[in-house]
Amino acid sequence: MTEVTTLMPATKKAETQANSAARLGLWLTLPAQLLVLFIALFPILMQVYISLTDWSPLDGIPWWRAYELWIGLLNYTDLMADSRFWGALWRTLFVMLVCVPVQFLLGLGLAVLFVDDFRGKRVLYSTLLVPMMVVPAVAGYMFFMLFQSGGPVNDLLSFFTSEPVRIAWLSDPDLALIAVMVADIWQWTPLMFLILLAGMISVPQDQQMAAILLGASWWRRFFTIVLPRMKSIIIIALAIRVIEIFKIFDTLFIMTGGGPGVATETISVYIYKVTQQELIWSYVAAIALAILIVLSVVSVFAIKRMQRGQDG
Amino acid sequence: MSEIALENLGKSFGDFTALADMNLTIANGEFMALLGPSGCGKSTTMNMIAGMLRPSSGTIKFNGLDVVDVPMAKRGVGFVFQNYAIFTHMSVRENLAYGLRAQGVRAGEMTKRVQAFAELLQLEPMLDRPAAGLSVNILQRLAIGRSAILEPAIFLLDEPLSNVDAAFRAVMRSELKSLQGQFGQTMVYVTHDQLEAMTMADRIAVMDHGKLLQVGTPLEIYNNPADTFVARFIGAPGMNILNGRLTQQADTVAVDLPGLGSVALPPALQAAAARLTTPDVLVGFRPEQINAAKAGLTMHVGFVERIGARTIVHMEQGAASAKAVLLSEVETPKARKDWTFAVPDDAIRLLDPVTGQALVGRPN
Amino acid sequence: MQRSIAFEAFRYAVILGIVAISLVPTLWMISMAFKPIAEWSAAGADLTWWPRNPTLDNFRFIFGQSSTELIVALERTAGRPIFASLLTASVGTLIAMTAGTAAAYGLSRFGQGGNLPLALIQLRLFPPMAVMIPVMIMWSFLGLIDNWFGLSLIYGIVTLPFAFWLMKTFFDDMPREIEDAALVEGCTRWRVFLRITLPMMRPALASSALFVFILNWSDYLIALLLTTRDWATIPVYMASLSSSMTGQLYGAKAALGVIAAVPPIIMGIAIQKHLVRGLTFGALKE
Repeated sequence: MTEVTTLMPATKKAETQANSAARLGLWLTLPAQLLVLFIALFPILMQVYISLTDWSPLDGIPWWRAYELWIGLLNYTDLMADSRFWGALWRTLFVMLVCVPVQFLLGLGLAVLFVDDFRGKRVLYSTLLVPMMVVPAVAGYMFFMLFQSGGPVNDLLSFFTSEPVRIAWLSDPDLALIAVMVADIWQWTPLMFLILLAGMISVPQDQQMAAILLGASWWRRFFTIVLPRMKSIIIIALAIRVIEIFKIFDTLFIMTGGGPGVATETISVYIYKVTQQELIWSYVAAIALAILIVLSVVSVFAIKRMQRGQDG
Repeated sequence: MSEIALENLGKSFGDFTALADMNLTIANGEFMALLGPSGCGKSTTMNMIAGMLRPSSGTIKFNGLDVVDVPMAKRGVGFVFQNYAIFTHMSVRENLAYGLRAQGVRAGEMTKRVQAFAELLQLEPMLDRPAAGLSVNILQRLAIGRSAILEPAIFLLDEPLSNVDAAFRAVMRSELKSLQGQFGQTMVYVTHDQLEAMTMADRIAVMDHGKLLQVGTPLEIYNNPADTFVARFIGAPGMNILNGRLTQQADTVAVDLPGLGSVALPPALQAAAARLTTPDVLVGFRPEQINAAKAGLTMHVGFVERIGARTIVHMEQGAASAKAVLLSEVETPKARKDWTFAVPDDAIRLLDPVTGQALVGRPN
Repeated sequence: MQRSIAFEAFRYAVILGIVAISLVPTLWMISMAFKPIAEWSAAGADLTWWPRNPTLDNFRFIFGQSSTELIVALERTAGRPIFASLLTASVGTLIAMTAGTAAAYGLSRFGQGGNLPLALIQLRLFPPMAVMIPVMIMWSFLGLIDNWFGLSLIYGIVTLPFAFWLMKTFFDDMPREIEDAALVEGCTRWRVFLRITLPMMRPALASSALFVFILNWSDYLIALLLTTRDWATIPVYMASLSSSMTGQLYGAKAALGVIAAVPPIIMGIAIQKHLVRGLTFGALKE
């Protein structure tokens, strides 16, 4: 065996080595490729198929015979006119528009306070990260308890008023959304803080020193050096939160179940309800597919733009 | 324009003393190089002058005024960082204008000054280019221009040439020197490269292990190093230092170099030699001052290095080793042969074998 | 740089204030978990911030031991859901780490699978809710509903992007010289990967696995859709801790909540250094 390899010309040997490396690379990536294919290709094809029918698991016919209930694009035209869907979509966007800026500003402010060393920094830093590590469903139970009318939130508010506060946070259509957003801000501000602080620390120290020596005030440095240098990490942090809030479910669902009425019904909650309670799976497939298409287009566009931004 | 005075300046980080008891006065408009190997305290000194570090002891005075409590933004000090710290997310113009804008200079005035400086530094063609991706000599000019536009009285440069490849250094050196001529500020230049210090500085302060060893013009330091460290550090290669014994010959004192021969002492050093209590002494002489001779010192030639116009001869004798630098057109000694050479009287330096300090020729 | 005392005071005041606020919900749950029924039930007259008579009754209760005060018998105890959470999160982590590590190495060293980084980010982007209908149909077809493997497999796929990206950044950071030296010695690439690379990457593997485990352990929605009873995980089971007689069993839920919340907090603090790397898909390495 060794004789053969030594007899082989050097170039040919290198070629076989390169080939075997490529083959090993293929084998190594195969499981991941299969899993991605499994979760991407099958479901999407199945989703396309089912969404063109009126199939539901209650119909008593297996899914592959759903063509018997063919309705064409009816699900999609229904979706266009589904005010509950559009309501859920706008509600999700509203939560996003409130929570993301609040989390960003709080996280940025905290990062500013943590960027240089002080006594107790490590312990306080770790403590601040605790909320994001709490299981979201458990956070849902926590805030469910906190916002009871006899619960601690009202108890704290009573401290500032003459008579005991008895606000029914979670059963008031106007307040329930606020409670849900408070929970999201509580849980995910630490994530913003964590990422923004890491970005802020990576701003080169000598750039800041140079700016100080040129007479720039703290504010000027912050807006002309620190923030511009953090641009890409800020975009990443915002993108992560936007994506996650778009999926918001666990905490919210446990706190309010999407109610009262549809007051806190977001996209994921709406889809869940149609799936589990109304069981119109073909319609869900249509909604899901529509969302997937929109998100794919948006994400490919965004990622391409970001890659270009990084190269430049 | 400003005079800088460091008085008993010291800095320690915990148990580690980075700088001890430094006294140095840098005159108006002077180009002073702080020279020493890494860890010698030169950067610490500079950072204290800039105000990035607070001295543990002693004071810093600008024109006689104590500035230790003046924050760095208010000291009127221009600083060029080792990597230039150019704001790469801005254009060249924005970099130049940064300080003016921070100081609230009016827009019209600002445009005029930026334009003037761009012309002076030949940065005009690239004013609106992004500062990222410019070549290193343009970055250097921009870094200097960005500070100089505020007309600081003092300019500090922290090893600005250490990231530049050797071929380009000579260009950068002459450019830097001519810029200093144009601006005329007091400049403090930190470097570990003795060649940079020798070619650019008016005076050099040689430092090692947190101590200032010698201050003087490049020639003074080259000719009369204060101790063995300076003697070996300055010059390429550094000064030859050999063990010797003083011997009384008639009414003069000579130095016997064991195994090599002996050299006569110049009159100026006779008195200094006479003050020594033991006969042991260190003898120093520059490799460049050695000449081939019929009689004098003899050493075994290890190998001969030819570097163009000059030739370096590596020699050994017992435990002693020395180098000679000869012009290449002169007939050079053969390797693995003995070679006899002479050292002129006035090239001889004596140093104390215990303290390493130079024995000064003229009494007092 | 020197800062004024006023600034330091301001810094501590703001930070301590925010730390206090951020700890209230967690501390409240812990407090509830140790309160006797009289202090947490709706019947309880006024609110007590800290248990007056701390007790372990809530913990005993969820494991099937009813107390004199709380005579409701649980149909199912918490033991099984805790086991279900542990098993599915662990197997899911194993799947994600195996496929993710192999693919990350394949891409980092041999440049294979160039489509994976983008595909996996997109996978992360989609709401799980939007692909669950086909999964539910397939799973019931394959008999994987309310089955530990069915849930683990989905966990493995959902957290694959994190495992892949984390390991990719670790492999990218690892110097190749050691591997090259072993190759010159005549080892096959496969042996090099198993005998040299993986052992060297042990700390990175451990951090990534913990990170992925936390994500799997934290799931609620997928378990809600794919389990009904036997393999219900902790959060799904928690909903059943209320009865028509007693209403919400706050104390019991809080006790179970503490059990569910503690492991990820400890693990999260242990891998703090790599959290940013994991969460930003390696865009920022601390």
